[in-house]
Amino acid sequence: MTGAGLLGGWLLGAARGLLGALAGWWLVLFTGAQLAVLAFSPSSYRAQAGAGVLREIERAAAPGLPGFTVLMALFNVVVIRIVVVTAFAYGLEPYTLDAVVRVLVLELIPLVAALYVAVDYSIPGGSQLFKWRRAGGLEALRAQGADPLAREVLPRVLGGVLAVCLMAAVSCVISLVLTYVAVHGFTLAALPRYNRAVGQIFNPAVTLIFGLKTGLFALAVALLPVANALRDIPRKRARTSVELQGLVQMFVLMLLIEMAALVGNYY
Amino acid sequence: MPTPDPTLTPDAPEPPLSDALARGVRWRAVMLLIAMALLLVGSALYLMWARGAFEQTQPLYLSTDDSDGVLVGMDMTFAGFPIGRVRRIELVGSGTVRIQVDVPVRDAHWLRSSSVFTLERGLVGAARLRAFTGVPDDPPLAAGAERVVLRGDVAAEIPKMMSDVRDVLQNVARLTASDGALGQTLGELQAFSARLNTGQGGLVAALTGNAADARRVGELLARSNQLLQRVDALVARADRQVLGKDGLLADSHEAVRQLGGLLQEARQSVQKVDAVLKDVQAVASNARGATDGLGDLRADVESSLRKIDALIAELNRKWPFAPRQQELSLP
Repeated sequence: MTGAGLLGGWLLGAARGLLGALAGWWLVLFTGAQLAVLAFSPSSYRAQAGAGVLREIERAAAPGLPGFTVLMALFNVVVIRIVVVTAFAYGLEPYTLDAVVRVLVLELIPLVAALYVAVDYSIPGGSQLFKWRRAGGLEALRAQGADPLAREVLPRVLGGVLAVCLMAAVSCVISLVLTYVAVHGFTLAALPRYNRAVGQIFNPAVTLIFGLKTGLFALAVALLPVANALRDIPRKRARTSVELQGLVQMFVLMLLIEMAALVGNYY
Repeated sequence: MPTPDPTLTPDAPEPPLSDALARGVRWRAVMLLIAMALLLVGSALYLMWARGAFEQTQPLYLSTDDSDGVLVGMDMTFAGFPIGRVRRIELVGSGTVRIQVDVPVRDAHWLRSSSVFTLERGLVGAARLRAFTGVPDDPPLAAGAERVVLRGDVAAEIPKMMSDVRDVLQNVARLTASDGALGQTLGELQAFSARLNTGQGGLVAALTGNAADARRVGELLARSNQLLQRVDALVARADRQVLGKDGLLADSHEAVRQLGGLLQEARQSVQKVDAVLKDVQAVASNARGATDGLGDLRADVESSLRKIDALIAELNRKWPFAPRQQELSLP
């Protein structure tokens, strides 16, 4: 084969890969839009569909919440202690609270909560959905006159989103309490000053970015594995399983969200 | 075309739950939803409260010519306690900055009409807006009052310090430049040491500047040496004349001995004079004693005369033929 032929073949392969990636992201976006429409439609919560949503919410959040909360509390204690001791050693006590809240509450907790839900719930759920679809589940449901998206996909996405939000919220509250205790000890005397400092950190812009970031993390974690389960990956390119591909896509998306949040917060 | 997996049922990915289990799951899900709603609403309310959304405040306007470091939301402190929050920063006419600070009404009594406001910037950390009240009995600061902020800026001192340092460095550079004073001095020193190393006249030639002078200095040194030898001989002769056997010093010793004898004789003469003086003193003492005896004698004569006078007076009184004149004339 000539050099020109090799180059042409490589270019063709690259173009096909790019088109395939774009098609995959388009499917994710399209599925997300369909699910958003369904999520805001009351019929999705009636009768059997509503029960499915509640079941998935419970499956996504309830089993992991206690363990995650305890683990995060331990992690918080370690990080808070490190930051507090370092700040005191360098004479930067006034900035301790700011550093702890920004590092833990604003940055780490949403990320860790999203990853936990992804590993604990979304990716196994996506894998299960993929196998079910390959077994002809979608066609069977359609034959019964039910919408597979509303019946099987939407509850999983809603469950994942809510689990991430709930775990992040609980851990943030616990982290704020632990930070207060670590910095001021077991006393209520410093509460006004602490409240004021927390209020200063969470100005409207930071709060908005924090909320958006957590929501987008939750969406990415809940949507990507499910959307990947709804498409067929070509055999030639499928060097990894569908779970791992979903995980990689999810990491890329979370990285982009995190970067955007950092730019919004600190630039 | 995907091939169906025969191990999975196509109806649903999971088997349906029993009614009891489904009720439990539903109840737990609802509880989770309620907990999350409570958490979100509670967090939102807490943040609003912490940011002073429910506080009654009064505005205070601070004007300054530079608001660098002032941020919306930062605290204004009084004695280390936050008593106000920056709400707005805006440029107004004449290019000054107007900072609106919302002071909670419950803390407003710390601010008086004579209060002073400062904006301080350190090298590390954010700027600090502080209030000072010197006279707490002054009338309270009115709502909407406008005050000028006094600025204390450590960072502003850095350019001045850098300018001073630059001046010093320029001076050092000027000193150490090739045509500078230090360079010229070193050059001169180098020329001096080069002259030292030429071998024609050495240090003297380097000091005087030419070889002829150095030669003259050499001759001068030689003549000085001759002079010193002559002086040495002279001193030796003087030594002999003064300290020799018949020298000046031996004569002096003899004269001193004779002088000692003379002094001895003089002392004896003085002792004799002393004895004579003692005799004279005794004579004078006797004369004084004789003088005292004369006084006694005179007193005795006076006493005898008085007795005679009294006797004659008695005789006259008793003698019938006595003259009328009874006066007695004494010899």
